[in-house]
Amino acid sequence: MGESGSSGGANVALHPDDRHEEHAHSAIPYVVVWIALLVFTALTYLTGKQHLGTWALFIALAIACLKSALVALIFMHLKDSSGMTRLVFGTSLVFVGILLFFTVADVATRFRPATPAGAPFGTERSRPEGLLEHEMPE
Amino acid sequence: MSPEAASLPEGILAHHFASLERQNEAMRLGMWLFLATEILLFAGLFTGYSVYRFEFPLAFAECSRHLSLTAGTVNTIVLITSSFTVALSIHFARTDQRRAAVVCLALTILLALGFLGIKAIEYTAHFREHALPGKYYAFEEVKIPGAAMFYTLYFMMTGLHGLHVVAGMSVLTWLLWRTNQGRYSSRYYTGLELGGLYWHLVDLVWIFLYPLLYLI
Repeated sequence: MGESGSSGGANVALHPDDRHEEHAHSAIPYVVVWIALLVFTALTYLTGKQHLGTWALFIALAIACLKSALVALIFMHLKDSSGMTRLVFGTSLVFVGILLFFTVADVATRFRPATPAGAPFGTERSRPEGLLEHEMPE
Repeated sequence: MSPEAASLPEGILAHHFASLERQNEAMRLGMWLFLATEILLFAGLFTGYSVYRFEFPLAFAECSRHLSLTAGTVNTIVLITSSFTVALSIHFARTDQRRAAVVCLALTILLALGFLGIKAIEYTAHFREHALPGKYYAFEEVKIPGAAMFYTLYFMMTGLHGLHVVAGMSVLTWLLWRTNQGRYSSRYYTGLELGGLYWHLVDLVWIFLYPLLYLI
């Protein structure tokens, strides 16, 4: 039913059906991924401390996505999983994307006439929390 | 019944599965479906975080700088290493090295305890400083709008993640016991593999929490 992820590399990519026959399963990919994850964590730490402004968030998220990909593909064996399992994981990511994209796009594109008094999110960034517009101190 | 299944210990292959391979595939698929719901559960919190961070960028940056970056970084390393040890334990189980598998699982549980310990120290500091969620917020050092919201999200996200660490630890302890009994070997290790998947998810969530909370 599944197809093997034949993405090559030094890792032993196994057909799911071969899982029980093989005896040469290697732990080396796990060690490589562990070291890579530590290096990426150091990179997150170093770039994060620079406070690079606009780019900081993109760099941090890009590294986090890369780390997650390593964990999912190697540690969680998604690389060798059947198409069905990959479809489930992929679908959940698509819906996370929809949720995040449309929500943030909504908040990011609001303008004054679209935010009536008392709306939780307005164009005034410094409004004290919990106060409605008519309760604001002058 | 395949000859392979006939040689398995009692009670591993359920009678409604034609072969062990089919059963393993069904187990993995079920686990991934569950993990998908977990991903969406956390996605809700991440979305809330995005909205409030967009609304209060200054407060979030300021509050983030009052978290202990050292604690967050050490915890990231601890969780990554625990993910590595759990992957190793599955590797050792499937290559019939039972003792090594047990040692790796024990290490994973110890690392998980270490993670919770560091988190507890951080929480204690927040409680002492009154850096608490919502109306309980009375942190002297950051008094700008949105600061309370940062701590609300911080406690919700790390709290839910912490609950997952506790759940993962319980599952791993059970698996440690079963591995020690010799239930997982090259012939069958899917149960252990699924427990490992859960633990990796806990690690995945933290990989995103770390830069979003500690490094704004």
